[in-house]
Amino acid sequence: MLQAARTMPDTLAHPAAADARPDLIVVQGVSKRFGSTAALQDVSLRGRAGSIHAITGENGAGKSTLMKLLAGVHQPDAGEIRMAGQRLQLRSPAAARAAGISTVFQELTVLPNLTVAENLVLGREPRRAGLLDHAAIHAEAQAVLSRIGITLDPQRSGASLTVGEQQLVEIAKGVSTDAQVFIFDEPTAPLNRAEVDKLEQLLHALKAQDKLVFYISHRLDEIFRLCDTVSVLKDGRWVATEPIGALTSERLITLMVGRELQALFPPRASTPPGVAALDVRSLTPLAGGASARLQLRRGEIVGLGGLEGQGQREIVRALAGALPPAACDVQRLGRDGQPQAYDPRQGVAHVVALGIGLVPEDRKLEGLYLDLPIADNIWLGLLRGLGLVRRAPRQRAVVTDLAKQLQLRAGSLTQDVGDLSGGNQQKVMIGRWLAAGVDTLLVEQPTRGVDVGAKAEIYGLLRAFVAEGGAVLALSSDLPELIGLCDRILVVRGGRVVGDVPAAEATEEGLLALALVDAPANLPGVPA
Amino acid sequence: MTALRSGIRRTTLALPVVLFALLALVAPGFLAPQNLANIIGQITALLIVSLGQMLVALVAGIDLSVGSVMSLAGSLVATQADPLLGIGLALLLGLLVGITNGLGVAVAGIHPLIMTLATATFLQGLAYLVLPIPGGQVPASLRGLVSSTLWGVPQPLLWCALCAGAVGLLLHHTRLGLHLFAVGAQARSAQLNGVPVVAVTVSAYVACSLLAVVAGIYLAARVASGDPTMGANFGLESVTAVALGGVQLTGGVGSVLGVLTGALSLGLITNGINLFGISPFLRGALTGVLLLAAVCAQRRKVVGL
Amino acid sequence: MPAWRRLLRAALALPPAYAGLLLLLLLAAAMRPQLLSAMLLPLIARQAAPLGLAVIGQSLVMRARSIDLSSGGVIVAVSYLLTSGYFEVSDATAMGLCVALGLVVGVVNGVLIVQTRASSMIVTLAVSMVLTGIVVALSQFRAPGDAPEFLRELARLRVGGVPLPVLVWLGALVPAALLLRHSAYGRSLDAVGSNPQAAALSGLPHLRVVFAGHVASALVSVLCGFILVGFVGKGSITLGQDLALNSLAAAILGGVNFGSGRGGMAGPAVAAFMLTFLFNFLTSLGLGEPGRLMLQGAIIAAAALVYSSRR
Repeated sequence: MLQAARTMPDTLAHPAAADARPDLIVVQGVSKRFGSTAALQDVSLRGRAGSIHAITGENGAGKSTLMKLLAGVHQPDAGEIRMAGQRLQLRSPAAARAAGISTVFQELTVLPNLTVAENLVLGREPRRAGLLDHAAIHAEAQAVLSRIGITLDPQRSGASLTVGEQQLVEIAKGVSTDAQVFIFDEPTAPLNRAEVDKLEQLLHALKAQDKLVFYISHRLDEIFRLCDTVSVLKDGRWVATEPIGALTSERLITLMVGRELQALFPPRASTPPGVAALDVRSLTPLAGGASARLQLRRGEIVGLGGLEGQGQREIVRALAGALPPAACDVQRLGRDGQPQAYDPRQGVAHVVALGIGLVPEDRKLEGLYLDLPIADNIWLGLLRGLGLVRRAPRQRAVVTDLAKQLQLRAGSLTQDVGDLSGGNQQKVMIGRWLAAGVDTLLVEQPTRGVDVGAKAEIYGLLRAFVAEGGAVLALSSDLPELIGLCDRILVVRGGRVVGDVPAAEATEEGLLALALVDAPANLPGVPA
Repeated sequence: MTALRSGIRRTTLALPVVLFALLALVAPGFLAPQNLANIIGQITALLIVSLGQMLVALVAGIDLSVGSVMSLAGSLVATQADPLLGIGLALLLGLLVGITNGLGVAVAGIHPLIMTLATATFLQGLAYLVLPIPGGQVPASLRGLVSSTLWGVPQPLLWCALCAGAVGLLLHHTRLGLHLFAVGAQARSAQLNGVPVVAVTVSAYVACSLLAVVAGIYLAARVASGDPTMGANFGLESVTAVALGGVQLTGGVGSVLGVLTGALSLGLITNGINLFGISPFLRGALTGVLLLAAVCAQRRKVVGL
Repeated sequence: MPAWRRLLRAALALPPAYAGLLLLLLLAAAMRPQLLSAMLLPLIARQAAPLGLAVIGQSLVMRARSIDLSSGGVIVAVSYLLTSGYFEVSDATAMGLCVALGLVVGVVNGVLIVQTRASSMIVTLAVSMVLTGIVVALSQFRAPGDAPEFLRELARLRVGGVPLPVLVWLGALVPAALLLRHSAYGRSLDAVGSNPQAAALSGLPHLRVVFAGHVASALVSVLCGFILVGFVGKGSITLGQDLALNSLAAAILGGVNFGSGRGGMAGPAVAAFMLTFLFNFLTSLGLGEPGRLMLQGAIIAAAALVYSSRR
C-alpha cells in the first residue's frame, strides 16, 4: 500500500479551531464549456480562510479550468463565485487581482526582456510624479524577495532565469500583492529540493496569516504534507471535499479514478505482434535530457502514459521528425521485414515518406485544414511523397470509401471540416493518414474532446489498422483509455520509460502509482 | 537595467563609427563644418520618424503609413496661412491615423503591414487632394524654427534632442514604456499580468503617427514649401534605420540609442554618396539592399507575410 | 432547400468582384453608356490584361500566405532592358534576358522569404526599391528608348475582334486554373494556405510551395512588363508602379485571401476587369489620382476587415 509522509502541520492538530474559520471563497454550480467539450459541470466547493486547500484529480479533470475561472482568465457559463459573501465578476486577470485573488499560473508569465524587479511589479508599477519610480521598484522587489527568502538579484533579466527561478519569481509576484486568496497551479514541478522547502515555509506563513491557498497538484506526498483540505474533481465534476485527516492515499486515488468502464473498447489483439515497426534503442529528444527506449511492433497498439509533461510528447514528436532529436539510435522494419533507412533528424517529410504518420493533439492548430471541405482534408493524404510537379491523383472514390469506413457523421463531404464535431474531426485526421497509406501511426491523445460514441468508433479504427499489419503508438493521459485500447502500456516519467505493463494486467491505481514520484514496490507492472 | 532590451550590439555601434572614419579619410570635404551641419539637418526628419517606427516595432508591429503622414502633414502646414491651424490639423490627423491603425491591428486583427499599407495609400490620395503639386508656402514663423541656431546650437539638433529625449523618457521612465516592451515580448503573458494590451498597442501607433507628423512639419519648414510625395521613401527608410539600430521587428527589443545609430548610419551613407558624386538615384537601391540585409539578419518563426 | 434559396446562397458566397462588376455595369449603363460600347469595352479589357496577369501571380503567392510587391521594380527593369539598347542584342534575346531577370528576382525573393523567413512584404518591396533605383540611375546615362516593334504590334493586334493582350491573359489564366486544380502543387497550395503547420506535419513540401509561388509571380511580372511596354510604345521609369497594390486589391476582391482561394482563378480575373472598369468609370466622372488612391486604400482596408472578421 502507498505510504505517504505523515508530518502534519500544527494547525491540523486543533481541528476545532480550523473549522471555526469562515468560508472565504464559495464556488456554486459553476459550469464551463469550450466548444463542444464540457470542461466543468456544476462544480461547487468552498474554501476557508487560513487553509491550504488541495484541488486534485486526473489529467483533464478540470482543475486548471476551475482555477482559471478564479483567476479571471475565463468566465463561467453558469454558476457564481462568491468571496466573503460578495458575488464576484472576474472579467480579466486584472479584475481578479483587484478582487484580492493572486494566481501563480502553470504557464510561466515571466517576461524575458524585463528584469526580475520589473517582472515583479508589472501591472502595478509604483510611480512618482507620473514617472516610474525606479528606486521604489528595486526596493519593493528586494523586500519581497527577502521576505520570501529567495536570493535572486533583482537586476537579472527574465531570460537568464532557469525554469525553477522563474517559478520562484511567479510565486513572489503572487505573494507580493495584498491578496486574500492564492492559487498555485502545480508550483513545484520545476523546483529543486531547497526551493520546494522554501515554498512550503511560505505556504505555512500564508496560512498563519489567515489567507486561503488553493493548491493544485498531483503529488500525493505534497498534498498530505501541506494541505488541510482536499477537493477532488473527476471528468469536470466535483467528487468530494474532505479534511486531510479523513483520507488515506488509497482512498484519494480511488476518488480520483475508477469510473465505470463502458463497453468502448474492441477486443485486443489475439495474435502475437509481428516485427518491430519502430525499434527505439535510445532516443534523446532534448539535448542534455533523458533518453527513452521502447519497441513498437506490427499488429499492436502501444500506449504512452504517465503524468502530463513528463516527456511523452517530446518522444512522439522526435520519432515523427517534427522535433529533430538531439541523439537517436532507432531502427525501422518495413512491412516486408526489410530494414528502412529511418532517421528522424531528417525531418517530417522523410519520416512520412517512410510510412509513419503523426496525429497531433491539437487538431485545430496542427492537424486539420479547417476551411477546406472534408473530402479535401482526407484526399490530401494521397499527396504523400508526390512532390510538386506530378499530376494530382483523382481517385475521389477513395474518399467516399474511407468516409464510409470512418463512419463519418456529416451532411455531405463538401462540408467544411471546421463545422464538424470533435469526434468526426478526429476521424478525418486519421482518415487522411489512411488515405496516405502509412503503416505506423503516432497518435497524440486519440480521443481528446471526443464524445463517447465517436470514441468507440475511433478505437475500432485503430484496432482494425493494426490488425492489417499496422502499428500504433498512442500517447494518452486517459488511464481507462490506455488500459482498454492498448496491448501494452509504457509509463513515462522524467523522459524515461519506467514501466512496461501488459494492458490485460494493468489497473488505473497501478498506472497512476507508477506515474507518481514515489511508487510502492508491489503493484503490478512496477519494476522491482 | 534597460541595457538588456536595447538590442544594441558592438556591430550596431560600430557601423556609424566606421562609416564616419571611412568618410573622414576618403571623402573630400566631409569634415567641413557646413557638411557636418548638413548631415544633421538631413537626418533629423529620418530620426524623428524612426523613433516612431521603433515604438511600433516594440509591440511587434510596423507602420508603413509614416511616409504618407509626413507628406500630408507637410502639405497641410504649407497650405494654411495660420501656422497654429496647420500644426493643429496635422496633429489631429496624426491622432486619427494612429488610432485607426492601432484599432485595425489590435482589435480587428488585421496584419499591420496590410493595415498600414491601406492607410498609406488612402493618405497619399488625401495629400494629393490637399496639395496637387509641390508648392504652397510654409509660414515664416515655422521656417524660423528649423533654419537657424538657438543659443548657438543649430536648430535641427534641438529638434533631434527634443524628440529623442521625449521618446527616451517614455521608454525608460513611464509605465507605458515598460508595457510596450512587455506586450512586444509576449502579449499573452503581459495580459495575464494585467497589462492592457489593446490600449498599449494603440498608443504605440498613435505615438508613431504623431512623430511622423512632427517630422513632416520639420521637413516642410526646412524646404519652405510642401510636396505631396515628400515622405515617399520614409516608410521603408525608417524600417531600415530601426533594423540597423538593433531593434527587433518581432517586438520587445529596441532603444533610442539604437535608432540614433541606425539613422546616423543611413545619413552618413547618403552623405558619402553625395560627396563622391554617385548618382543619388542609387541611394534608393542602396537603402533597399541595406533593408534586405537588416531584415534577413533578424529571426522569425513564420514564413511569408 | 428550395432551388432559389440554394442559388441565392451560392450567389452570396461569390467573391465581391462579381457583385461589384454587376453594380458597376448597371451604373455605367445609366451614367456613362459609352463605356459599354463595342469600341471602348475591348479597350478596357485590353487595359485590364496586365492587371489580370499580375493577379494570377499574386493569387499563387497569397494563397501560400505570402505576398509579392516587387512587380513594380521588375516591370521597370524589363522596360529598361528592352528599350535602352544597353546590350546590342536582338529583341528576342532581350526578351530572353528579361525572363532570366524574372527568374533571378523570383529565386532571390523565394530564398530570402523561405530561408531567412524575412517578411515577404518587406523583402519584395525592398527588391523593388533596388531594381527601380538601379534603373533610374542607369537612365541618367542612357535614356530608355522605343519599345521593340514586336511588342508594339502585340499591343495593337486583334484576333477576331479580341485584343491580343486579352488573349495572352486568357492564355495564362486557363493553364493557371488547371494547374491549381490538377497538379500536386496546386492542391498542396490549398493545404499550405489553410494551415501551414498541419501541412508541414503531414509531410507536404510547404516551403517549396511558397518558393514556387514567388518564382511564378516574378515571371508573370515580366510578362506584364512586356505588355505594358507594348502599350506605351517606349520605355518609362514610371511604368507599372501601381500594379502591385492593384493586384493585391484585385486578389482580395476576387476572393483570394492570405491562405485561401475561394474564388478560384475566375474571381480574381473578374476583379481585375472590375477594377480597371471602375477606374475608367471614375475618371470619366472626373475623379483624379487622389480619389483613385483613396479608394484603393479604402478597398484594401475594408476587404481585410471583412476577411479578418470571418476567420
